[in-house]
Parts: sequence; structure tokens; C-alpha cells
Amino acid sequence: MNTLVITTVDGIAYGLLLAIAAAGLTVAFGAGGVLNLAHGTFIAAGGYIAAAWTAGTWGSLATAILLATLAGAAGGGVLAAATAGLRGRGHLDQALLTFGIALVGGDVLTAVFGSDVLRPRMPAALEGTVAVAGYRYPVDRLAVLAVAVLVAVVGYVVLHRSRAGRLVRATVDDRAMVAGVGVNPRTVDAAVLVASGALAGLAGALTTPILGVGPGTADTALLLSLIIVVCGGLGSVPGAVAAAIGVGVVQTVGVVTIPALAPYLLITAMAVVLLVRRRPVPGQVT
Amino acid sequence: MRAFTQAVAVARLRSLPMVAPLVVAALAIIVVAVAADPYLHTTVARMLPFALLAVSVAVVTGHAGLPTLGQVAPYAAGAYLTARLALTGIDLAIVHLLCAAVVGAVVAGLAGAVLVRHRGTVFLMLSLAVAELTAITAGQWRAVSGGTDGLAGIPAPRLLPGLPPLLGDRTVLLYAATITIAATAVAVWLLRGDRRMLLTATRANEDRARASGHPVNAHLWMVHCAAGAMAGIAGTLLIHTHRWITPADVGFGTAALVLLAAVIGGARSLGGAAVGAVIVLGVRDVVAVEVPGHAPLLVGALFVIGVYALPGGLTALPARLRRRHRRHAGPHAAAPPTAATSVRSTS
Amino acid sequence: MRRARLRLRPALAAVTATSLLAAGVACTGGSGDSDRVRIGLLVSLSGIYTSVGEDMQRGFQLYLDTHDGRLGGRKIDLIVADEGDGPATAVPAAQKLLGRDRVVALTGLVGGATVDKVQTLTHERRIPLVGANARPEFAPVAGAPRDLSYTWHTSYNSDEPGIAIAAHIKAEVGGGSVYAIGPDYQGGWDELRGFTDTFTELGGKLANPGGKTVFTPFPTTENFLPYLNKAAETKPAAVYTFYAGGPAVAFVKQYRQSALKDVPLYAAGFLTEGAVLDAQGTAATGIRNVLNYSPTLPHAANQQFVAAWSAAGHPGQPTTFAMASYDAAAVLDRALAAVDGPVTGETLNAAIATVGRIDSPRGDWQFHPSEHRPVQRWYLREVRADGPVLSNVLLQDLTTLPAT
Repeated sequence: MNTLVITTVDGIAYGLLLAIAAAGLTVAFGAGGVLNLAHGTFIAAGGYIAAAWTAGTWGSLATAILLATLAGAAGGGVLAAATAGLRGRGHLDQALLTFGIALVGGDVLTAVFGSDVLRPRMPAALEGTVAVAGYRYPVDRLAVLAVAVLVAVVGYVVLHRSRAGRLVRATVDDRAMVAGVGVNPRTVDAAVLVASGALAGLAGALTTPILGVGPGTADTALLLSLIIVVCGGLGSVPGAVAAAIGVGVVQTVGVVTIPALAPYLLITAMAVVLLVRRRPVPGQVT
Repeated sequence: MRAFTQAVAVARLRSLPMVAPLVVAALAIIVVAVAADPYLHTTVARMLPFALLAVSVAVVTGHAGLPTLGQVAPYAAGAYLTARLALTGIDLAIVHLLCAAVVGAVVAGLAGAVLVRHRGTVFLMLSLAVAELTAITAGQWRAVSGGTDGLAGIPAPRLLPGLPPLLGDRTVLLYAATITIAATAVAVWLLRGDRRMLLTATRANEDRARASGHPVNAHLWMVHCAAGAMAGIAGTLLIHTHRWITPADVGFGTAALVLLAAVIGGARSLGGAAVGAVIVLGVRDVVAVEVPGHAPLLVGALFVIGVYALPGGLTALPARLRRRHRRHAGPHAAAPPTAATSVRSTS
Repeated sequence: MRRARLRLRPALAAVTATSLLAAGVACTGGSGDSDRVRIGLLVSLSGIYTSVGEDMQRGFQLYLDTHDGRLGGRKIDLIVADEGDGPATAVPAAQKLLGRDRVVALTGLVGGATVDKVQTLTHERRIPLVGANARPEFAPVAGAPRDLSYTWHTSYNSDEPGIAIAAHIKAEVGGGSVYAIGPDYQGGWDELRGFTDTFTELGGKLANPGGKTVFTPFPTTENFLPYLNKAAETKPAAVYTFYAGGPAVAFVKQYRQSALKDVPLYAAGFLTEGAVLDAQGTAATGIRNVLNYSPTLPHAANQQFVAAWSAAGHPGQPTTFAMASYDAAAVLDRALAAVDGPVTGETLNAAIATVGRIDSPRGDWQFHPSEHRPVQRWYLREVRADGPVLSNVLLQDLTTLPAT
């Protein structure tokens, strides 16, 4: 009973962590028009950079997060350049390209950072636990929770209150219109992919202290992000956040309350969400 | 040599463009089989189940226009059923093939009843769920599947009662190639004429097909079932060529590799899909052994190069070359762009 | 295909030449059989087990390098192939080693599923398989138990760590109960079953509801906190677990953040073996675990091994993975020395049966006569600071397995 409360809190925190990881993917798909299967690799790259750079001080942690974000942004830039030539060729070609990039990138990451599982060295203040309403809870997760909320707020403000955000939303709705006001929609696409990569790098830096980073990180991160993005409605940021919290809760409260079905739980939940949400078929080709 | 002249005669007699690639495939296999090298035989034989699975994926993805990761479900059903039959002493290959085709069709029918109501990315993700659930079930259902380590040492099948089991490397290769080519030929034959037109029309404009009175979802479901039967047969071949299986062989990894192999091949061409699968496995299992540890790098590079060098896939290459040739010949000779060249925009 | 055949031609030529030579040598009385010997090393060099695979490669290579590149007086051609994540990539690689490179022995093998599949191949071709990582429980083939005449392991069976530590934990917790948790795949099932079966036979009580071990989805589980907090509700006197690689890092770190924080944690030694220990850091301090090796063992053979490991420039301390692979080379060294005449799979396999005691970094051991795996001591270790680094420090001997 008592445990359920703290587990639910943890589920939401874990969900918000996943939300940052998935946000970049959903933005790339919704606004950038790219199904990016290299997203998990960008996250792993951010994680590796964070793990390699941190030295147990606040300064190194801040620099590491910044570097990871920049590396992710650079990855997004590569992605933008690589997909620019594939416009109008459908998502399968994009999948082929980005899966290829993911495989090549994974090999490069192993060559640079080795095959061991790494974890950043955090400032001592973040390594402990605190009492939350009478329960013990890790400080690093609370810190990530705070950052996740911050990112969500900033993301919302940028998307809805700034000129850049309006341009992005306008590009999704009507590309010709954007071109009409003198902005090349392709520039907007590229900017969105760079931002999406930056989010992936940031997500990697934030998750690594909690989960570590190794050769399996990219696959797990990609699978979870895909599930979240699809459940949240492709391209919708609030949808992704809601879906991420759902996945977080399923992966925490769900697996301990129905242990017998634990292996099936996540995938089944995704299938149910997709089926329940389905729109009438005729004429609908997403 | 006689086989060659006969085959050419048959091809000329029918003058069907569909027959030529199959003949080429058969000849390639014969060339391989003639070589006195068991390692080569084993290597090629090992690729064939995967190639047939890619063909079944191409039917669903290229023709029905539904990008699928879910064909591993009937593949798994066919494979594990074959393994169980062989382990209980039923070792006739034809029994395995028939049972696997039926169970493959049934599994694909059940999954398809849900899947074919959806399109595009939602279909893709639902089929991803099917793939994941297949691998998880294969790992959990220990009594049937042997758990996450799978099954090993599965007895070899027999072609006829009383004949020795299919063990020789060359025999297994010829047997697997015969089944693969025959199944592909049947699929090509079934997907000709009106059926092909109907699927093309559905892909191009589903509303219009529906408005013209075609029960689109029912058609797609039947295609899905038929492709499932083929995947089931591919599952049998997996057991007959490997004689072991693990859940990873029927999971997301295999599904993704096969789908991308079909895309490289040119998703609408069944033969192209099979060739794409052979290329992907050739890079991963043959070329990459020269640089141990870098198979993912080479496969990744293959995908990236494939996207840029082969728009429309391998099978679109001849048409592109011809067009380029004509363009060089003079502006007046340039062929008008046809709908057929804008391949696979499925979502 | 064409490339493969082209490349094959020199290989065929080489094989023909060497067999002609061998025949010639045999005619002249078989005195100088100093031909080169090909050994295949199949380990994971890509995918999630790369860390273990690289360790095993280092171990084997270290033995070769410290023995002039020779085993049993013969020059060795070590041919390395990538096992990848499992049989789908490992079997093609093994077939290449066996079919194209014609190795006379195959060693390495990280994954249990790989061992299970490759064993049938090497057995068919009468090539000795000298596995150097966990041996799974072999399923019978066609109703008969697996024929192990060509199968050897210098490591252990995957249920042995749990069997070895059960009595010690029982003595420590007395009437208290133990919570068992592990990853949901064959390796996890074997490791946990070894412990729970032995522990309950000794009269121990599991804290898990219904006495059923909790298995977490593998490899997707990365958040263990909910499992651990749930486990804390059963008020166990101790926890027993097995994880390796990435999940081991997450598990140990989150254990120290959970409500179980102060409950003693026992584990199969892989939880804190090698590079994962660096990533776990101080969160791993105090974990007691069981393994067939500790880098702090006082034997002369171990001190030599550890010194050679550092001298070779390898990071950290040697692991049980490197040690078992090092021993596989030692076994082949002795066996090849005992082969009189041409080296084939058959002659080498017969010689392996005669190697007797191996003076290993883990202490002396020898092959079990029928099961072909080590009869060896198991050690209780504790994670402690050993100078500037954390190490699995030897506490005491536990038992010798398998009982003969």
C-alpha cells in the first residue's frame, strides 16, 4: 500500500524522463517530417559524452550536459542534411537511411567510448536519497524531474509564444503559406531536426546518471521512444508527455502489481492505445 | 548445361517477363551447388528462409502497401510447429510444409483481422507490437519453445518415408532453393493480372477503389493470409536449414532487417526482395567476417548507400539506367515520367 | 559468393598443401610435426556482450603472448570471429571457422544460447569445443542426453554460483528469509534456480510471495526501483540476485537508493565483475558475491597472471571471463604438447582428456571425467576498496563443485 504511493511517484518521474527522450522523436516526426530511427543512437551519444565528461563537480556536470546537447544538435544537423535529398520518398526510405545511420553511429560510439557500461560521476549531493512524505527517494531522480518539467515549460513557451515556434507550427499546417511570408520551409525543417537532436542529446545526459549507458542503450531508448510517440499521437508534444507518463506508470506500478504479465505489459498497452484511438478507416492514409 | 537450354527455351516459349528472374535464380543456385564447397552450400542455404520471408514481407509491404514488421509471427508459428513435429518424430518434409503454411495463414489471419483496418505508421507500429509479442511469447512458452535459448539439435526431415534424412550440405541447399523458388513463383503467379491491378488501384487511391465497390479490407486480409502461409513455409525452411531456433530469430531484429532488405530489393518486386535479403545477409555473415566486430557498421553503410544509390530499390535500377541512357540520347527520346517509377510511398 | 570462392582457393590450397606435407611427414616417421595449428576464437565483438567478449579475447591472447605465440610447441594461428548478440550471427561465424578456416579447436563463446547451438556443429565435425564462459543446461537431442565427448568448458555451469553460496547464506540468515530476483531469460533462470533449489533444500525460506523468484523483463528493464521497494515489503533478511552488464549497474545503484538499502545483498559474482564495478562505484561496496575467481587470490599463478595483465596495458583487474579464456589456452597448450603426430580434431580431443591438473590463476582444477567441466573451488568475495580501486576481495573458500 505504502509502496504503491512512492512507486506511482517514481512512475511519473520515470515517465517524465522518458518524455524528454521521446520529445525529440515526436518533434522530428511531426514538424520535421522525419521518422528518425537513429534517435536512440543520439540519446546514447549524449549519455556517453556526459559519462566521459563529468568529474563529480557541478561545473563539469553543467559542461557535460551542454556538450551532450550540442552533440545531439550536431547529429540532428547531419540528419537534416542526409534526409534533405529524400523528400517525397516516403517513410520506408527514411527508415532505411536512419537505421543505417544508427548502426554506423553505434559502431563509432563503441570505437570511441569502448564497450563497457559507463556512468557519470555526479556531485555528492545528487547521489543520496531524501525523505519524501515519509518515503526514501533518490535525489538524482528528483533533479531530473525538475529539469524535465523545466524543459517541458520552455518547450511549450517556445512553440506557442515565440516567432520561431509559430513558424514551426505554421510549417506543419501549411508549407506554402510559410514560403509565402518569405521563409524557406526547408530551413524550418532543418532547424526542427537540429532541435530534435539537441533534445535527444540532453535526454541522454539526463538519463545516464540513473540508468548508465552502454551498447544496449540505443535500442532500448529507441523502442521506448517509438512506443511513446505513437501512443501520444505522432507529432504531438503534449500527447507524448501524457503517453510517456503512461509508459512510466506501466513500467513501474504495472510490472509490480501484475508481475505474471510483466513481459507483455508495455507492448500490449501500446497496441490497446492504438486500437482504441483508431479513426474510421475509409480514405485515411496517414 | 542442358538445364540451362531447357530453361531458356521455357522462358522464350512463355515469353513472360516474370519467369526470367526465377530462371536466373535457379541457375545461380545450380552454379553454387556445382561448386565443391560445403561451406558455400551451407552459407547460401542459410540465407534462403530469410529470403522467402522477405518475399512474404514484400507481398504485404509492396503490393498491399502495408509496411509490416509482423510477418515474423506466422514465420515463428511455422518454425516452432515444424520443430515440434520433428522432435516428436514426424519427419516428412511435406507434412511440415503443409502444416506450417496452414498455421502461418491462420496466425496471419488472426493478426490481419486487426491489422488490415489500419494504414501507414499506425499499421507499422501495430505490426511492431505483433513482432515483439511473438518474440516474448517464444521466450516465455518454455514447454513448446525451449525458452529464451530456444531449441537445438532438431532432427533433419525426410523427403519421402524410407529415404535418408536431408543432411548433406548440397542436398539441403537444393531442397531449400526448390521450395523458395517454387513459393516465390506461386506468389508471382497469384499476384498477376486483375489482382495486381486491384492492389495497385487500392494503393493509389483507396477511396476510389472502395467507391467502385471493392471490399478493400477483405482483399487486404486475404493477401495478408496468403503472405502468412508463405512466411510459415519460410519458418519450416528455417528449421530444415538451421535445425535450431531462438526467439531472437523471430523478433523485432529479424523483422526490421527483412523489411529493410525488401526495401533495398525494391519493395514491389518479390524477386528483388529475396535478392535484397541475400545481399544483407551476405554483408553481415560473409563480408563482415573479414573485420570481426564491425558487421553492424557494414550493414549500416549498406543501408545508407542503398538509399542514395538505389532509389526505388535494386529492381528499379535497370529502368533508371535505361531512362538515363535515353536522356543522353536526346531530349526528344526522353520517356515521360510514369506512375510506375514513383515506388513505395506507403505512408 | 564469388568473392568467397575466390578467397577460398588459397585456403583450399593451403589445406591441400598441409595435408600433403603431413602425409609426407608421416611417411618419414612423424618426427617433425611442427606445423602451424589453427584455433578459432568465437566471442562477442559487437552488441551488448562486447565487454565480456573483449575480455575473453584479451585472456586468450595474453596466454599466447606470454608463451611466444606457441601452444604445445606449435605456432598458433588464432582466427577471431564475432559472435554478436547470439546464434543468428554466431552460427554463421562458427561455420566459417569450421568450414573455411578448418580450425582444429573452437574456443570462446560468450552466450549460453550460442554454446547450445554451436555445440551441435562442433560435435558433428568432431572438433573439440573448449568453451570459456557459462555452460547452459543442455536440452536433450532427440530424446537422448547431449553427447559431451567433444565439449569442454574451462568455466562453470550457469547454476553453480547459486549452488555454491546457498549454504553460506543459509548460515548467515539463520531463520530469516531471502528474496530472490533476477533477469527473465535462460541465464537468469539457471543462476537463480541454482540458488533457490539448494537454499530451500537446506531448509531456507524464500521471502518472495508464493516462494516464486521474481524475474524482470530482459533486457528492457532498466528501472528496478519499483521491484526493490516491493521486495522491501516482505522484510527479507537478505537478497540474492544475478545480473550482468548494463542491468547490473542500474540494479546496484538503485538498490542503494531503495528501501532495501540496508539489507545485505548477495549475488552471483558477475554482478560486480570487471568494468561494471567501476560504473557502480561506491554503491557496490559491501556486496558479497560468489565466483570461481578473485584477482586477490594469493596463488603464485594468479600473481603472475595479474602482473602479466597489467604489463599488457589492459585496464583494471583481470576478470573471471579473461581468466577462463586464459585457462582455455592453457588446456590447449598442454593438449597440443601431448598430441603425437598430425593435429586433428580427434587427436586433439583425445589429448584434452589427458591434461590432468591445470595450475590456474583460480587455483588448481581438473576436468570432471564425464561432464568435461572444471572441478573447482568457489570463493566468497566482498566488494571493498583495494588501494585506490574497488575490488572483489577474497573472504573465504566456500565449496568445491561439482562434487565427484
